[in-house]
Amino acid sequence: MIEPIARLRRMVLIRTVEAQLMARRDHGFQLYSTGEEAVAVGLCAALSPTDQLLSSGRAIGPALARGLDPAAVIAELLGKASGVNRGKAGRGHLAQPEAGFLGAHTVVAGNLTLAAGAALACQRAGEGAIVAVIFGDGACGAGALHETMNIAALWRLPLLLVCDNNGLSVSTPVARSMAASPLATLAAPFGMASATIDGMDVERVHTAAAGLIAGIRAGGGPAFLECRSERLTPHSSATRDTRAAPDLAAARARCPIARAAARLAGEGALDAAAFAALEQAVSAEVARGFALADAAPYPDPAEALSDVG
Amino acid sequence: MSAEAAAGTARIFFREAIARALAEEMARDPRLLVLGQDVGAFGGSYKEFTGLHARFGDDRVRDMPVAEAGMVGVGVGAAALGHRTLVSITYMDFLMLALDPLVNYAAKARFKTGGRLRVPIVVKTTAGAKGQGVAHSQCIEAWMMGVPGLTVLAPSTPADAYGLLKAALRHDGPVVFIDHKRLFPKSGEVPLADHVLPIGAACVVRAGTDVTVTSHGYMVHIALEAAERLQAEAGISAEVIDLRSLAPLDTGTIAASVARTGAIVTLEEGQLTCGVGSEICFRLGEIMGRMPRAARVGPLAAPVSSNPVLEGECLPDAARLVAAVRKLLE
Repeated sequence: MIEPIARLRRMVLIRTVEAQLMARRDHGFQLYSTGEEAVAVGLCAALSPTDQLLSSGRAIGPALARGLDPAAVIAELLGKASGVNRGKAGRGHLAQPEAGFLGAHTVVAGNLTLAAGAALACQRAGEGAIVAVIFGDGACGAGALHETMNIAALWRLPLLLVCDNNGLSVSTPVARSMAASPLATLAAPFGMASATIDGMDVERVHTAAAGLIAGIRAGGGPAFLECRSERLTPHSSATRDTRAAPDLAAARARCPIARAAARLAGEGALDAAAFAALEQAVSAEVARGFALADAAPYPDPAEALSDVG
Repeated sequence: MSAEAAAGTARIFFREAIARALAEEMARDPRLLVLGQDVGAFGGSYKEFTGLHARFGDDRVRDMPVAEAGMVGVGVGAAALGHRTLVSITYMDFLMLALDPLVNYAAKARFKTGGRLRVPIVVKTTAGAKGQGVAHSQCIEAWMMGVPGLTVLAPSTPADAYGLLKAALRHDGPVVFIDHKRLFPKSGEVPLADHVLPIGAACVVRAGTDVTVTSHGYMVHIALEAAERLQAEAGISAEVIDLRSLAPLDTGTIAASVARTGAIVTLEEGQLTCGVGSEICFRLGEIMGRMPRAARVGPLAAPVSSNPVLEGECLPDAARLVAAVRKLLE
């Protein structure tokens, strides 16, 4: 499978897992990545296996993009003992460090300083690994971002800051929460390489991330990539959408999956029938994951006291 | 002390015990990092990091910007990838700026990942009042005691500082290590050989029969002073327990003492509401099936002023502890 098709398939996987999850009511609170698949998939396509990725609480997309076993992620989202984290993490705390996913931290901007520390560990290990951290536009107003950029730039840490700018902090538009625009300009005072790109174009994200990562691996210090994206669902499974219908329709018209599929069709690399077959295969794989998770037990209640400390 | 010296101890300052424990552990674990404000060539606000920068260099002993959330967050992130870190937060008041990476992440990482992550970080911080006012004097260790997953240690002597810091630096989860401004000038006998204290073990530092007094950190010295006065002034024999570890709390040692003495007075410099003493007394009641005769001694429920008159009025002292014990035993 050529790489752009593999990336399309990964985006379809994220969308399908979330669609099948949304269709159920037995999984509690979720933050969906639907609409923002290209940011995580394009970024992960530029990471090496030994690199580490951190995400915000909007972690389903990043976890699947990083290549975690979809069945284990699904089981985790359903709170089953067969989940990636034995059902104790849920969406907000998914982590599999040995797979390059140091994981999620649900406090907005809370993952940034942690990522700098992980980057310090990679720098000291001297094996060429880097750290990427995905955060939202909502994190850009927090002091943690500025502390992180300052420390990372001072120490030339191998850190890629990826702002998945979906334009909304729950209901507050970025124009009402941030004085800086574009958000990538926040990195300028620290002398960091930066770019603002269309985050709905997975190939553009991949290219931009790969370019910045090459600079980081060459010892250039941290970099900042702002990806302009669209959240196609409300902020969370428990939040109402505040956008007007025409705005939502405009966001849906930017769908990164439709866009990648159309491009591949135009290039003659993937016709409509092949895309339908891809979607069907993914749908079947995801359904098997849900069936496995449904058959798996919940954690023993005694797990409430295990691994504390 | 001379017998101990003969058994292989040396008299050193509290700050030297900290530096020695760190130097030995840094030599033992080549990954161990020290991060914080003024920890480098300056050697720490109380000279407790003296010699580390010269010996281990910029790479392992790093001055950081005055950004406590960044300091602890970076330490936690490095520790999560296997690079054990000690982060120095100059005063415990400033730890409030860094609670997210410590409380929301480090204390929960092992649990929430189903055991995939460990965060071996030690946050070393200096508590207590010594003329610096409302935001440089606080003792908030009781806040930390309520966080599942955090270990909280508070030594009162150079030997315990040495043994407990080494224990903290070998622990595989997050530790808050609390010293006190007034402890740094104190000296004491410290074993010459490698000496690691167990976490979660209190110590009876003065045997007695009439009342149990518990305390930690600098206040242990106030408790011992009060115990001498109680003996001399009223013939009251006070047993003094140095808690050393606040989480986990050694309720076994405390309960055994109170079973003998029949009464307990707790002493702390932090606020009494939801404080260390409240926790000890209630747990004793649960363990013993009835509340023992109990009293708590602490500061006034007020900010600690930098004005020496007001600071002195706010803080607990030996006279207040003596009065509380005598009232309880009346």
